[in-house]
Amino acid sequence: MTTTLVPAARRRARNSRRTAVAWLFLAPFAVVFLLYTAIPTVAALGFSLTDLRGSDLRHPLAVDFTGLDNYLRLFQDPTFLRDILNTAVFVAVGVPLTMAIGFGLALALNSGIRRLRGVFRTVFFAPVVTNVVAVALIWQYAFNAGGTVNKALAAVGLAGPNWLDDPQLAMPVVILLGVWRNFGTAMVLFLAGLQAVPEDVYEAAALDGAGRWRQLRHITLPLLLPTTLMVSVLLTVFYLQVFDEPYLLTDGGPLGSTESVSLYTYHQFGSGQLGMSSAASFVMLLLVLLVSAVQFRLLRPRT
Amino acid sequence: MSNPSRRGVLRLSAGTALLGTLALAGCGRGDTATATAKATAESVDDKPATGTVNVWAAQGDADVLAKVIKPFKAANPDVTVKFTLIPNSEYYTKLQAAIAAGKGPDVAQFFPESQAQFLDPSILRPVPDGLVDSGVFFKSLWDAGLVKDVAYTVPWYAYTYALVYRADLARKAGVKPPTTWAQMVPFFKALEGAGAVRGLGADNGWDIFNGQDVAMYAWQAGGSLLSTDGSWTLDTPAVVDALKYNASFFTSGSADTATPTFLDAQPYFVSGRTATMITGPWVLGQLDTAAKETGWTAAHVATAPLPAGASGSVSFSAGGTWGVLADSGNTDASWKFVRYVSKPSTQVAQYSAYGSLPAVISAWDDPAVKKQPLLDAFLTQLKNTKAFPQVGSWQQVATRLGKEVETVAKGTQTAEKAAASIQAYAKSLGTGAE
Repeated sequence: MTTTLVPAARRRARNSRRTAVAWLFLAPFAVVFLLYTAIPTVAALGFSLTDLRGSDLRHPLAVDFTGLDNYLRLFQDPTFLRDILNTAVFVAVGVPLTMAIGFGLALALNSGIRRLRGVFRTVFFAPVVTNVVAVALIWQYAFNAGGTVNKALAAVGLAGPNWLDDPQLAMPVVILLGVWRNFGTAMVLFLAGLQAVPEDVYEAAALDGAGRWRQLRHITLPLLLPTTLMVSVLLTVFYLQVFDEPYLLTDGGPLGSTESVSLYTYHQFGSGQLGMSSAASFVMLLLVLLVSAVQFRLLRPRT
Repeated sequence: MSNPSRRGVLRLSAGTALLGTLALAGCGRGDTATATAKATAESVDDKPATGTVNVWAAQGDADVLAKVIKPFKAANPDVTVKFTLIPNSEYYTKLQAAIAAGKGPDVAQFFPESQAQFLDPSILRPVPDGLVDSGVFFKSLWDAGLVKDVAYTVPWYAYTYALVYRADLARKAGVKPPTTWAQMVPFFKALEGAGAVRGLGADNGWDIFNGQDVAMYAWQAGGSLLSTDGSWTLDTPAVVDALKYNASFFTSGSADTATPTFLDAQPYFVSGRTATMITGPWVLGQLDTAAKETGWTAAHVATAPLPAGASGSVSFSAGGTWGVLADSGNTDASWKFVRYVSKPSTQVAQYSAYGSLPAVISAWDDPAVKKQPLLDAFLTQLKNTKAFPQVGSWQQVATRLGKEVETVAKGTQTAEKAAASIQAYAKSLGTGAE
């Protein structure tokens, strides 16, 4: 009996030491996660059930519990419903466009121009690491009524529109900035995925008479499914939370045509409606969770 | 997707998380109204100030403050004044967050047109008795800092809007500045006939400033924004008239909804692409720079009070004020700083350095201010101003009003519907006093 008990005790002691070490390593992340994600999320949920205003911040205990009032008001607010629609447009146009450009460039870099791959990868990735405020200012000047885009159009005899003042045109410009900032990320991820596909699979397919198109359809795309899932989820979450681009280019205008749900949340906060702002941010969190779950379900690799 | 403002939101949420959770227990707003400490005034002596004073201000008029207060620092060698200048658009958001987190400065600048939300003894200290003489300031600026007869802010600079127009083009067209609403668009058309592309360079942020413009027009039309019992009255015929009047600048083609942007406004004016601005006095000091020619403004520009509506030529009083925060650890030096910047001589120095017009009426008699004929219209206008509603939610209402202005100016909504919409919004918000 004693011969079996002692190793078991030792094993338990070793395990608990391991557990302690694991917690130790986990602690810094856990603290940051708690402080900056978990507690704010719980707080936002709490605030969203109250009529908290900017002027209450000095004495937050004074707020009234209003239950689901803020949520009801949100879904009765035509502005919020319009912003959900705007956000859906950001996702529906931005995600496929960003993925298509990223994938196309990754394919090109992976095949034809391998020797200059590093240079092009850097060039195409540059927008991802460029300061968005500076870029947005440049875009604003480019798309102003008298901006460079219209000057270029004038040079070929075309009268350019007021891009950022036209509700129909402002959205495409804002989406374009989002695509420009993100296609580099998609490209790098797709490139990594493409480079992980074993070369001999293509060679075997070529021997069997499969052309480039069939190789792409039956080898590349299926094997890239996990990468595609990851890229699409990342981009969807980005476009669902899109903030910088509409904020810096148009501040949600003209006539609210580019206001996203994030921007709505920000505007509510800025105007002191902290309860409404929290409710809107919570709706957005649920939206992100829901859409991501659906994507994981639809795009998960079938084994 | 890093954004400082959103990070601020997160920090703020984290900081108040526990309190927020407790709040769910169901304490009512009425509980704390009685719990706030009753304002008590302190007195400030004439001994030199000591210690450090942290001052927060919005970029703009405060950019030159470090230079302007050099004599104060010389007279008070043991005091250190640290300035933090924050971009205008972010100023209140950052200040509000800092105050909530207990990390605010000793002294903060406020805007009398939108400071009501801060006038609370838990946020600001009452102005000590005898610190300044309230009668020396433009009345509406001083009144903007009063709650239940307790003053929380001291005026610093004043401004209001007037017409700034191209005198050379008006001379060429043979027209005098408009004095009534009805003369406004014909005046613009005359300037266009004299060579301007657009008669008016409108300020198109569709934000709080556009909301303030329409509020001002509503006063000119004989309206008021609040009823005597303190509830919002924004769906009145006067507000509808104001929205229509503003929209007429655009529908007549005299103003463009798209241009100029804020940064283009002065170059456009100088080049003649626009010929009039409804703006503040600071613009006058910047036109020579835009024209790259000293003396350009004196030769090409004139000013006039705003055209009168059915109820006269009323404008709004605005500018800057100072308050000392309740949490300040150095109130004595803070008040001495505020007292110094409110002196007539300091206000003249501030005018010379940046063009900020004095909030102290007597400072207008100083030759530095008096010898500027272009300021006459602003002084005339300042004597006929109203203060925006001194209620906590005015800023939100004005911002929303600015968005409604856009819909009317662009013809996607009628003035009547916009007025009903802003009234419904303001009503749902209350006045912030409930």
